[in-house]
Amino acid sequence: MTEENSNWSRRTFLKAVSGTAVVAGCSKGSVPHKLYPYLIPQEEIALGTPAYYRTVCRECSAGCGVTAKTREGRVIKLEGNPEDPIGRGALCARGQASVQRLYSPSRLHGPMERTATGKFAPVSWEAALKRVGETLASMRQKHEGAKLRILTRPEPGSAGAVQRSLLAAVGSASSQRIVFDPLDPASLRDSGRLLFGRNELPAFDLSQARTVVSFGADFLETWLSPVELTRSFSEGRGKTGPERTRLTWVGPRLSATGGSADLWLKARAGSEAVVALGLLRWIVDPVNAVTNLAPEAPELFARLHAFDGSFVEEHSSVTESELEQLGRELATRRPSALLGPGVSSTGRDAATLANAVQLTNYVLGNLNTTVSYGLDPALDPPSAQSAFQALIADMNAGKVSVLVLHHAAVAETLPTQLGFLEALAKVALVVSFADELDASSHGAHLVLPDCHPLESFGDVSVRKGIVALTQPAMRPLEDTRMASEVLLQLGKSLGAAELTPFADFYEYSQSHVAKFAQGPTGGDDTQRGLVQRSALERGGYYAKAVHQPVRLNLGGLPPFQVGGSERKDSLALVPFPTVRYQSTGTASPWLQETPDVTSSVTWRPWVELSILRAKALGVQTGDVVELKTESGVAELPVYIYPKLRDEAVAVPFGAPALLALMPARFDGASGAMLWASAEVALRKTGRREVLARISVTPEPHSGELVKTVSSSQGFALPVLTGREFYPAPEHPVHRWAMAIDLDRCTGCQACVVACYAENNVPVMGPEFVAEGRSMAWLRVQRYFPEEDAGLEFMPMLCQQCGNAPCEPVCPTYATYHTKEGLNAQVYNRCVGTRYCSNNCPYKVRTFNYKDPVFESPLNLQLNPDVTVRSKGVMEKCTFCVQRIRVGENEAKNGNRAVRDGEVVPACAQTCPGHAIVFGDANDVTSRVHALARDPRGYGALSELNTQPAITYLARVREPK
Amino acid sequence: MRGVAAEISSIQAVSVAARQRLGAGHWGLIALAIVAVAVGAAAEAWQVQNGMQGTGLNRPVAWGVLITDFVFWVGIAHSGTLISAVLFLFRAKFRTAVYRVSEAMTVFGVMTAGLFPIIHLGRPWFFYWLFPYPNQRQLWVNFRSPLMWDVFAVSTYFIISATFFWVGMVPDAAALRDSATGGWRRFYALFSVGWRGTAEEWRHYTRSYLFFAALATPLVISVHSVVSWDFAVSILPGWHSTIFPPYFVAGAIFSGVAMVVMLLIPIRKVLHLEGVIKLSNLDLLSRLVLLMSLVVSYSYITEFLLAFYGKPSAERDTLVYRATGDYALLFWLMVLCNCVLPLLLFSKRVRVSPIILMPIMVCVNVGMWLERFVIVVTSLSHDRDPFSWHLYKPHLVEGLITLGSFGWFFLWFLLFLKVLPAISIAELKEEVAHVHSDEEPAHD
Repeated sequence: MTEENSNWSRRTFLKAVSGTAVVAGCSKGSVPHKLYPYLIPQEEIALGTPAYYRTVCRECSAGCGVTAKTREGRVIKLEGNPEDPIGRGALCARGQASVQRLYSPSRLHGPMERTATGKFAPVSWEAALKRVGETLASMRQKHEGAKLRILTRPEPGSAGAVQRSLLAAVGSASSQRIVFDPLDPASLRDSGRLLFGRNELPAFDLSQARTVVSFGADFLETWLSPVELTRSFSEGRGKTGPERTRLTWVGPRLSATGGSADLWLKARAGSEAVVALGLLRWIVDPVNAVTNLAPEAPELFARLHAFDGSFVEEHSSVTESELEQLGRELATRRPSALLGPGVSSTGRDAATLANAVQLTNYVLGNLNTTVSYGLDPALDPPSAQSAFQALIADMNAGKVSVLVLHHAAVAETLPTQLGFLEALAKVALVVSFADELDASSHGAHLVLPDCHPLESFGDVSVRKGIVALTQPAMRPLEDTRMASEVLLQLGKSLGAAELTPFADFYEYSQSHVAKFAQGPTGGDDTQRGLVQRSALERGGYYAKAVHQPVRLNLGGLPPFQVGGSERKDSLALVPFPTVRYQSTGTASPWLQETPDVTSSVTWRPWVELSILRAKALGVQTGDVVELKTESGVAELPVYIYPKLRDEAVAVPFGAPALLALMPARFDGASGAMLWASAEVALRKTGRREVLARISVTPEPHSGELVKTVSSSQGFALPVLTGREFYPAPEHPVHRWAMAIDLDRCTGCQACVVACYAENNVPVMGPEFVAEGRSMAWLRVQRYFPEEDAGLEFMPMLCQQCGNAPCEPVCPTYATYHTKEGLNAQVYNRCVGTRYCSNNCPYKVRTFNYKDPVFESPLNLQLNPDVTVRSKGVMEKCTFCVQRIRVGENEAKNGNRAVRDGEVVPACAQTCPGHAIVFGDANDVTSRVHALARDPRGYGALSELNTQPAITYLARVREPK
Repeated sequence: MRGVAAEISSIQAVSVAARQRLGAGHWGLIALAIVAVAVGAAAEAWQVQNGMQGTGLNRPVAWGVLITDFVFWVGIAHSGTLISAVLFLFRAKFRTAVYRVSEAMTVFGVMTAGLFPIIHLGRPWFFYWLFPYPNQRQLWVNFRSPLMWDVFAVSTYFIISATFFWVGMVPDAAALRDSATGGWRRFYALFSVGWRGTAEEWRHYTRSYLFFAALATPLVISVHSVVSWDFAVSILPGWHSTIFPPYFVAGAIFSGVAMVVMLLIPIRKVLHLEGVIKLSNLDLLSRLVLLMSLVVSYSYITEFLLAFYGKPSAERDTLVYRATGDYALLFWLMVLCNCVLPLLLFSKRVRVSPIILMPIMVCVNVGMWLERFVIVVTSLSHDRDPFSWHLYKPHLVEGLITLGSFGWFFLWFLLFLKVLPAISIAELKEEVAHVHSDEEPAHD
């Protein structure tokens, strides 16, 4: 060392080193791979320690509360907020995946303006806002307020209020704000008005219902509030005997929701209303002597005279005896809940179906117990879907000069026949608030990127008494601004009286929800700040609201008419939304790679045909067929679905083809879009396309894997005799174990996406999935039971065997049994012989056939607690060992034992049906210990003496 | 006397064949082999760079063509020891004409087979982790893993068979050294480790050769038994079977001897060794092939019999799938090649007709490759859980690596034919000496 160098002080040396490090870090491409400590520590950020922020999921209108987990200033995972009364800690696949929207590579980096050439070019916020502001100001000046329209997703809170104020400031009517919710069950809403005088959606509480009948309402997937409904439904599952909730699915296609059904009434497409009417008639028929009916029953019977068993059988193919079976069930197993219509049953008779369903609920006394009115805040009810026809007509007629789109995926969801995009071209200024250049935004003049909900403030009233608060969990990733902030400032510049007192949208929102803070403070304004802060910490204001009893008024009810199921020889188009796709907008990579619940198809849409129909047409799964309806032609590859009626052709949402096929037909009374009202003709094209499916077996039967019980007595388990060659592993402290209730699992895939998020599981793309190289550590296996009801779902993940077949075959000890009962996988020691995968009877190990790619900025989501694996390495479920370690360390720091329920893997954490229970089997007080001894408990393939740590609780199938 | 003359002329033929200049055809074959090796090496390099995505492997089928190739080449390597060691111990005379070729085939077969466990690794650059070497991290290998047993079985087999091959070669190398010049002389000198042919040396040599033969004999059983344990020790239906070790050993001898015949037929023609490698030699080898075909057929029948004996089981499902499922064509092709076509060898006319023998032996090797493929792939693609069933189709990279392995094997073999005598000159001389010792003493 030279004299000069030795004179360096420690400080100077560190300066030089850190300077070099910074310069080195600035090189292109290296940034995402290194983490740098903050020079000045940020408040709330402790390195290596996650910070959690409560907010709300905006993926659908259910509004589940979420907890955003952040590490080093980045959101890395969303989990349900346990204090939120809607989701109660659970989150669906879509909610789990919404974090990928935040980090979507296709997100806009800043505002875009369409140039004269028709292409989009970046523009400054100032210039963009100036253009909008000036246009609106001149509109107001010229008293052309009638020419402004706002097309928005439902915003039941401050955001909606700001939009209304803006309209008022320009001089427009509030009806010029069109609220768009493609999945809104408008006919159900309308039946509330007609029967009970309440124009709102009822709230369903299935936890008490012993019988649930769904007329095409996919309440475990997308309908109303799927997470909440799944939870309350599953409370009655996992039991035997009369306490168990039975589910009956009515419809031409057994949906994922129908997969949980105990009875499937295979009604012809469009005939759900006939079945509902027949069922109601059976119940009110004095001959059947159903007791405890509402006093209106005789009057209803008089109105329903025509819909007897033979009529139902003729029009729906549901036999009298099936109807009677269901009727008896409803008569005896009370309370019950009838649900409907859903998208797939919203046909020509949707209004009749909605009325029949709600009348049956009423007659059976379900109203005010399982079905309640008065809980819908009805703050921002979706406009009648027929309002689009009016809007488009206005646009075409030049009556609209400024259109503001606010997260309204119209072009992605509504039939092309409506001509929205063509009409868009006739509007002088279209301003779109969007995350990316989606199909609707392509027709816009200005695209203003909105902040992701995880970067925004806001409030959403989801239920009476419940106001969920949105708060940013991180700073905006791109040059985005909150849409509501932009609109608020625009409104202020136009002199909107309601908006001027507020500096920004945060203040506005806080004052908007201030009245909810009044209860806890008791009017003491000095406490308000504290209450508001605590509400932000909890996730919102959760006051208990009481439903309002309703009385039936048959006065406005028109005579029952059905006409939707007349034709018998034509093929009916049955569209269905899935948790993965609710429009054709781009889904996040996780959602795309997550298999569809029933078909296990990933990445692309398909058309479902029955076995017989496919045979008649001479097509196999993967063959492309041409579909033709009155409104258009489209081509889709076939998936042969054994649980589909022969005259039904089912197409999932997510297919642009569906938009071409859908006729723009609306219900006269409710304005509901009649999704399931088209007839379709099929033609074989002779082409084939690869359908990337997780399971390519056409109709797998579960065999010994999924066991069923009919009573609480359980069943015989294989008795293994003989001594082990090797000594049994010891688990001195913990023995981590899991129990999965197959009677509660609805196959919803929430656990799958949660696992992707938690464990940095890479997305491989359709080619790899088609090859059988999906990297999912957890998959929900779907089987077709031999008996003809429902589907069987079985979450399959590493069983953490006590006598694991994978362990002895690994030559390098890369996989071994830990003292805590985990089957550990040491990535660094793995050489990739893949013998472990071959010897695993559950086939839960995944091999890295290439280096995983996390396209920037999706890599910012990666969980720093979990290694990103490289090519040539085997990987698998670890029971979220990183979360186990956190729990153990916390317990150790607190000088106590790990509490039951303290350690929860990502899959169990998010399970809406609470089907997955995790814990320490060594702890005799733990739930998992008890469940391992449940009469329904068994180990999958335990006859192989693998001694799995997962106890499956058998599916309950009641004897007929 | 005429017999002696014929014998001596054949000895000369062998010596000449070993030292003749490379013909254009020979060069061409070597060039072809080098091209094949280069293609295979390029495919492997691509695979190292890009991961195993170039294969058709998936979940559940994590082993495919590469493992098939491994078992195939180990099987090929098998008969060398059988012919040279076991037949030596049994004093089977017809061995002399064929054992050098089959030993060479063994050594090169193991050299080829040994590549595959490394090639098929996800991270082949860490292949040395499979060896129990002392290291500062105190990492050890898992001796419970059949793959570990493979490491030892194959490396032992390679060491023993290579040593045996070399020891048997020493007198011949010395003979070649004496007539060679320049670099070749040094090469042969090194090879012959100073052999002078003294009586003392011969005494030690014959004893040690006997010991080597005795040492190598158990390997005939052990190597392929261990390889079969890769499958039999697993719990996969279609693999987990106690008949695998004898079944695999029989299959290995079957394919190995067929390969010997396949190689001998062109060698005797091209090198003009019809006088040494006689039709009677081919006849005897063909009888061995026939016997092994019958044993293999019996094993197939036993496998099905066991599966159908008793309750319906996953194993039965797998075997039914094997015979009737997606890979049924390959299965029946295998039955045709391994069980039906070899029945032609009952005919003496067929056994002494190289023209007919050649296609039969090729078919046997195709059939045995298919057998390994069918066992590996059908069992994996239809495990116990029907949800995870998936087909496997070999992809280009695997195909090119397989091609490369044939190139690699034949490259060594062609070089061997050029550099070393394909038939033991010393033993030929010995035989001549034994037969005609009363007429004329045999000297070197």
